[in-house]
Amino acid sequence: MATHRVSLLLWNLHAGSRGAERVYFRARARPRPDYLFQPLPGVCGAGTPCRGLCSEAESGSPKIKKPTFMDEEVQSILIKMTGLDLLKIFKPAIRETKPPTYKLMTQAQLEEATRQAIEAAKVRLKMPPVLEERTPINDVLAEDKILEGTETVKYVFTDISYSIPHRERFIVVREPSGTLRKASWEERDRMIQIYFPKEGRRVLTPVIFREENLQTMYSQDRHVDVLNLCVAQFEPDSADYIKIHHQTYEDIDKYGKYDLLRSTRHFGGMAWYFVNKKKIDGLLIDQIQRDLVDDAASLVQLYHILHPDGQSAQEAKEQAAEGLQLIKVFAKTEAQKGAYIELTLQAYQEAFISSSAAS
Amino acid sequence: MVQLTTVLCKAYHGGHLTICLALSGCTNRPFYHIMAAHKCPRDGRFVEQLGSYDPMPNSHGEKLVALNLDRIQHWIGCGAHITKPVEELLGLSGFFPLHPIVITNAERLRWKQAQEVLLAAQKTDTEATETKEN
Repeated sequence: MATHRVSLLLWNLHAGSRGAERVYFRARARPRPDYLFQPLPGVCGAGTPCRGLCSEAESGSPKIKKPTFMDEEVQSILIKMTGLDLLKIFKPAIRETKPPTYKLMTQAQLEEATRQAIEAAKVRLKMPPVLEERTPINDVLAEDKILEGTETVKYVFTDISYSIPHRERFIVVREPSGTLRKASWEERDRMIQIYFPKEGRRVLTPVIFREENLQTMYSQDRHVDVLNLCVAQFEPDSADYIKIHHQTYEDIDKYGKYDLLRSTRHFGGMAWYFVNKKKIDGLLIDQIQRDLVDDAASLVQLYHILHPDGQSAQEAKEQAAEGLQLIKVFAKTEAQKGAYIELTLQAYQEAFISSSAAS
Repeated sequence: MVQLTTVLCKAYHGGHLTICLALSGCTNRPFYHIMAAHKCPRDGRFVEQLGSYDPMPNSHGEKLVALNLDRIQHWIGCGAHITKPVEELLGLSGFFPLHPIVITNAERLRWKQAQEVLLAAQKTDTEATETKEN
């Protein structure tokens, strides 16, 4: 009987601690509507800091704080690199068609409309969070050996109180062996989708996320669709989400299709992944070839922020390099394809000189 | 001091809520809603739905039970009675202590299995002695 009293106490303790934090999380309790091919605005919630979701990865030494994805400096660099191609952002999506509307506007009205479009585009370009993989749940609440053999199937109990955030919801499983344990992350996601369905998310994992189907999507250059579906289906810190994102980024790197993600909300995540893996050469070359030298320089700057102990960071600080000089320093020291980068830089400089001489 | 309040109230008023299971679903496919209701027909008027119980296992081999613990706590606080099946479910979930009938059933099952094993052992013993005699 002692164990039963303990389990009842556990519930009461949890209920008590929940009450204090309930006020903050009410904004996130309601599931937001989102569409399959449309990005969902404000995953992190504009204004509310991503409490609990963002990983504040502190390195060993207390002085040096490792920059996270959500730092303002990092975010500003990534937003600048993503670009703002309005025609690509507001590309016609696959949906029910209706006849187009035409408006007659003055120049001032057109500028106002463009400004509003830019605001809407910025909301659409809000980046989905980059988090570390979640640790599996292995919590056993009670062991009742008496119940062994009475049942052949397990019971899954979900708490469907409306005003609790999904992360704090109680989902427990009573196994046929009598053990009462907390549900694993996959079971949790499934139950929450059954009782609180979110638009665009399926209960069972869609077939498109299998290996062969992903490869088909990659061959059709539909990386953006894959990533949008992934964001809709999985939680940002689940293993599947991280695995599919990494796989997509690797495929883009292999074939150099960086432009597919430019002006989408996934570009920041891709750049962050490459900078962490120290594989920014391909992206740098692509940027220089498209005459985006400022973006290339800011990418190298981001690399130096993340790896300040590296050779190129030290040399750049010594020389106080800027812009093209910064890229050259990086190409000389830490790049894998240094020769390529220098060649493309040379080609760019010649083209620049010839075009400025011609004009 | 024996608590007679609820017993007296039950006899006098009958004015309490009950948290019970209401059956719905189709032929050969039951599905229960956990309801807070007055003394109404099983599938009739109710006050609030507090959850659901699906007695048929799904494709992952699970029986799904949903419990709106917030509201269940509220109605228990208002003096609602709970029927035995709901008490058993809440006991299995860990919200209540395990119901004694669940433990009794488990012990009866154990006893029956032990008896079967004993009978089987006795039968083999008698067969062995018979073959020896023959």
